[in-house]
Amino acid sequence: MIAKDYIQLNNERRKKLNKENESLYLDMVVYIRTNANKSEQQTEEVLLELLDHLLKAQANGKTAKDVFGEDLKAYCDELIQEIPAEKTSNHVRFILFMILNLFAIITLFTGIGGYLLHLLFDIGSGSLTFPIGSGISIVILDLLLLTIWIIILLKWIKSSTFKEKKPNKWIEFLQLWLICTVYIGLSLAVLFLMPDFGTTVNLYYPVIIGLGLVLLVATILFNHKYRMTK
Amino acid sequence: MSQRSQLLKGILEGCILSIIRMKPTYGYELSMKLQEFGLTDVSEGSIYPILLRLQKENLIIGEMVKSESGPKRKYYQLTREGEKALDSFIYHWESLKKPVDTIIRGGD
Repeated sequence: MIAKDYIQLNNERRKKLNKENESLYLDMVVYIRTNANKSEQQTEEVLLELLDHLLKAQANGKTAKDVFGEDLKAYCDELIQEIPAEKTSNHVRFILFMILNLFAIITLFTGIGGYLLHLLFDIGSGSLTFPIGSGISIVILDLLLLTIWIIILLKWIKSSTFKEKKPNKWIEFLQLWLICTVYIGLSLAVLFLMPDFGTTVNLYYPVIIGLGLVLLVATILFNHKYRMTK
Repeated sequence: MSQRSQLLKGILEGCILSIIRMKPTYGYELSMKLQEFGLTDVSEGSIYPILLRLQKENLIIGEMVKSESGPKRKYYQLTREGEKALDSFIYHWESLKKPVDTIIRGGD
């Protein structure tokens, strides 16, 4: 069984928790899952064990705090500390998958969008012209921004757990909105502010669409082989 | 960390290894056995960080097995290194138990 199978089992068995235990357990799940550098496999295995234990304890009238201690956050920290680091090969696999995915979407949108604009409204020249140096720099900087954005998002989600009072929905929404707006703004700024340098390349939109399709198929095959999303 | 938990940590590891040696065991069963043997002071959940550490140190391995009576569960068993670690725990424990008992009772 791989981590995805455990996640599915977890989703099914979790339904048997009562309201109080479900809310406490979900906080534990989110707090433990949002550690990007920990082995996904070990994380999901231990989460399922905790759930099975809690379900049995619940049948005897106990709550998560009776089983794991009053300070659930401290208990989770103790667990996280003992979960081994993710294997480098899995990290590489995930990063490759993200890059493939991103490239497939960008090339398909650019290609189809540019082609249609040219075909239907006679806008643009029917091909994309850009300096290669700027192009590569934009891609690298945007990938870097994406990574930072994901890390900040994970930190934000992790910090939203184990709150005594229900946090204000609007404040949470505003915080998320700010994180996303800054990210999108910076990504676009990189695109527009990048100076032109390097040899100019000229690619016809049908070529870009073809490239996008190849990348899309590669993404799907990669996902199928390594079960990245299911 | 309190003095009690410092002392307990190593001993609990030894107890967990002993119980797993008797027969492959899963988490809940393990914590119930510890309670049955009288270690009621230990909170039920405290075995899971220890189980993770013992796996990391390659002293035990866990395997998902379909049980006759219930759903798929992770059963633990000792590795060869785990057997050795348990033997050495027992050896050290035996050599400590008597002298410590004698000392804290005032030497008689």
